[in-house]
Amino acid sequence: MLARRTLGRLAAQPPVLGAAPAGARNMATLREIELRLKSVRNIEKITKSMKMIASTKLNKAQRAMVAGKQYGVANAEVFKNAPPEAPAKRKLVIVVSSDKGLCGGIHSSVSKATRRLFADKEAGLEPSSPIMVIGDKSKAQLSRALPKNIVLTFNQIGRDIPTFADAAGVADLILKSGVEYDGIAIVYNKFLSAISYESAVVEVETESTLKESPGFKAYEMEDDVTKDLAEFALANAIYAALVESHACEQSARRNAMDNASKNASDMISRLQMQYNRGRQAAITNELVDIITGASAL
Amino acid sequence: MSSTTWRNVFTYNKYTQIAARALRQSLKEEERVAAEKRGQTILRYQKWENGQGGQQVYLNPPEEKGAPPKSAAV
Repeated sequence: MLARRTLGRLAAQPPVLGAAPAGARNMATLREIELRLKSVRNIEKITKSMKMIASTKLNKAQRAMVAGKQYGVANAEVFKNAPPEAPAKRKLVIVVSSDKGLCGGIHSSVSKATRRLFADKEAGLEPSSPIMVIGDKSKAQLSRALPKNIVLTFNQIGRDIPTFADAAGVADLILKSGVEYDGIAIVYNKFLSAISYESAVVEVETESTLKESPGFKAYEMEDDVTKDLAEFALANAIYAALVESHACEQSARRNAMDNASKNASDMISRLQMQYNRGRQAAITNELVDIITGASAL
Repeated sequence: MSSTTWRNVFTYNKYTQIAARALRQSLKEEERVAAEKRGQTILRYQKWENGQGGQQVYLNPPEEKGAPPKSAAV
């Protein structure tokens, strides 16, 4: 307070002939630092509150994930015992991400995994395989990398915990879309722990591959029921992937906001030091001027 | 039971969703409110041709006409 008032008086005095007002540059710098300090403090408050929100959402999401994974496990059992005869060439790739950002590398991890799938020469995936994206963020990334392959995109999933209704809606739209494929691969983020995740791919068989599989042919199932099973299996797999990706996203957002808050508080202490030093330098300069002036009298 | 003609109209997933909705509406008030939340979806989808996105379509269109859509269609 005192410094600012004396600085004001200093600036009001007529400048010494030829020399720039000594306090002017310091005052501009001090004002700048003060503004930066205020904005970084606000940012720290925001990121801290986002971290709190993400932590509470993470708890809920983790519980839902544990329950939802059972659907995926049951699915995997069927496909484990009825593997496809020949690996599919033209796969439908379903990419699971979400619409919101500020969650670290969640969306780019899934997009990169998709691009790796397409770039992998060994796996022999047909380059014109269709892609369907859930979530606006990955949609934006993939529409720059593989625009011709995208056939259908979905959004408004992931605002809250994904429901089976979401997954069933997506599965129905996929089946109704009339896109051709021999197999389905779902790319999502697997939850490793509260601080780490990684991208993963889960394969789902179509009705025709299931019917041809020798493990399945051992049972004489009616065609109708097989079609039901294939449709339901797709919805199951999508649901398991959605719920797990949602949990990964909340944990990544919490970690990202935590890092941001830490960086912001580091920045605040650095800026505060700078501000204090600048303020003290300005006061010292003033004192020197006054004393020199007084000694001249 | 009549031989299943519903398979010509919709998928098994839709069949389960309809049955689930019937079950939820039959629950007691408190449980029904909790269960309704599990059945909600505000899904939107968009068909893509040749690298260009089409119009965004709601799967279950919202009732209020006055509400503007929140996300910008890409």
